[in-house]
Amino acid sequence: MTGTFGAVTPGRWAMIAVAVALAAVFPLVYHDPYYMTIIVTGEIVLILNISWNFVLGMAGVWNFGQLAIYALGAYSSGWLMLHHSGVPVPLAILFGGLFSGVVSVLLAFPTLRLFGIYTSLLTFSFAQVIQYVAVNNPHGLTGGSFGFPEVPGLFPDLGQTAYLRAYYWVCAGVIIASCFAVAWLRQSHLGIALRSVRDAPAYTAARGVNPRAARVAAFGLSGFLAGIAGGLYLSFEQSFTTSQMGLTPMSLDVTMLVIGGLGTVSGPLIGTALLTVIQTKLINYPGWQLTVLGATLLVIVVFVPGGIVGLFGRIDRRVRGWVAEDADEAEPAPG
Amino acid sequence: MTDAVAILANGVVYGSIYGLVAIGMTLIYGTLRILDMSQGSMVMVGGYVGWWALATHGVNAVLALVAAFVFTFALGTATELVSVQPLIARRNEVDFELVTFITTFAVAIFLTNVALQHFGPFQQNVPTIVSGNLKLYHGVSISYHELTMAVISVVLMIGLGLFLARTRWGLAVRAVAQDLDAARSLAVPVTRLYPLTMGLASALAGVGGVFLGALYFASPTAGDLPLLFALIVVVLGGLGSLTGTLYAAYLVGMTQSFCEVEIGTTWTLPILYGAILAILVFRPYGLKGSPSEARL
Repeated sequence: MTGTFGAVTPGRWAMIAVAVALAAVFPLVYHDPYYMTIIVTGEIVLILNISWNFVLGMAGVWNFGQLAIYALGAYSSGWLMLHHSGVPVPLAILFGGLFSGVVSVLLAFPTLRLFGIYTSLLTFSFAQVIQYVAVNNPHGLTGGSFGFPEVPGLFPDLGQTAYLRAYYWVCAGVIIASCFAVAWLRQSHLGIALRSVRDAPAYTAARGVNPRAARVAAFGLSGFLAGIAGGLYLSFEQSFTTSQMGLTPMSLDVTMLVIGGLGTVSGPLIGTALLTVIQTKLINYPGWQLTVLGATLLVIVVFVPGGIVGLFGRIDRRVRGWVAEDADEAEPAPG
Repeated sequence: MTDAVAILANGVVYGSIYGLVAIGMTLIYGTLRILDMSQGSMVMVGGYVGWWALATHGVNAVLALVAAFVFTFALGTATELVSVQPLIARRNEVDFELVTFITTFAVAIFLTNVALQHFGPFQQNVPTIVSGNLKLYHGVSISYHELTMAVISVVLMIGLGLFLARTRWGLAVRAVAQDLDAARSLAVPVTRLYPLTMGLASALAGVGGVFLGALYFASPTAGDLPLLFALIVVVLGGLGSLTGTLYAAYLVGMTQSFCEVEIGTTWTLPILYGAILAILVFRPYGLKGSPSEARL
């Protein structure tokens, strides 16, 4: 049976509740500022990945411009924070999200005229051009490669521990909310339309679904969330450099999504967590971080299509298959 | 008039080198239906081979170019064997293009970071192949290096054209591009052809890398900008169309040199990008591309 959030069994709900509760109390018992900073940064990357997964995995549009959208969210919210100090910071971040959403919709129109690999080419070069422009720092709007100047941030008055804790909760809240939103969207009319446009575009259009409208909506929603992530990053780190949207973070994020499992709700969670841990472990061997990353990405794509979530799904099905076989043998069907 | 000569001269030089890097991508897309994101890394590797041969070993220029060609050919072949060959069985699945886009991208990440570890983030000066300047018109001049670059690029592209048109292997490449199954049934050794194609395309980019290395520097990220321009060129020209790629390369080269002379380098990329957006909205498959199957 499918409920509001798809087929979630009571056991699954209990697991989700326990995970949320554990995540909520975690910063109360754990204080190490170094690792907390890494965790909060990882949370922000996760928000970005959830937004990217929505358009890349679920809608199946090969959008590689997401990091530019993310950066535009950071720059636009930062602009508001710096030049209009009367605006409350949460509103500025929201503005960043809206701005990114609008840009994303505008990007969607030319992009959706294209097919297949042209889509990724166009969006990839969109990201590169935005980065190039940002490095050149037009009218001092972006701070160039030295980064956006310091902004007030969400919690200017808190001490270090409380500051990290507050950001942790804010980001966790956004993550949980967006996971539920994605799970709900996945089985809503929009989500079903998106997935069926991805899998069988001609048939879906023949059944009266407007493929372009559904995908433009996906771009808007995904851009909005990416912009929020950008604003959060800027306000947390107090800086946003152009290297944040370069090829390195992009390859990291793509790897996270692919390893976790594209198009699934839990894929980004697993991929981001796993790679953040690996990257942190390798932090003393900076040269190896990305070399390992490239190799991992290659191996996963070639040997584990569907990522970790897909792999577990297959194992799960196989185990169920065995259980079912055993049951069949023990209890021959009547008749 | 001076401006016009400068724009024309630089445009031809840029166009030739973009053509050389982009034509490899077109060749690969035409035969394998793969967008090879490692092509930029081949430019980077070519730059390092040029630096290694010319600056540290002082060998002559022809040998350096040959060394770059051979080395990137081998590297391109290896790239194909690692990132594409294991996926050939999934060739007809819908996400084949995306999957190979990601695997070749992974190879690019890997190569960039191996270079970063081995050579460090520093920019290395690559000596020019030929020194001196050619005076064209009232203070407008281009260096012999750029001239050689343009000439060799054109020669290599003509060579590729002849290879495809006249030789048995070239015929096989075209046959595979047109119809894989028919080619296979006529005993075209497809599994050997794919590495060859990718090696060839990579070698062209590698030779381009030696020239570009002398024009700019050899560094681990030296391949990023050429890759971006090559992407712009192949999108504009239409993936899989060799003539479209050529037109687009010179069009992009001219536009770039026009922007640099008249408007300023900062706005070159945004203007190019805007132009491409405008063209793609009306011609979604580029200038010469067609929605049908890949062909050369």
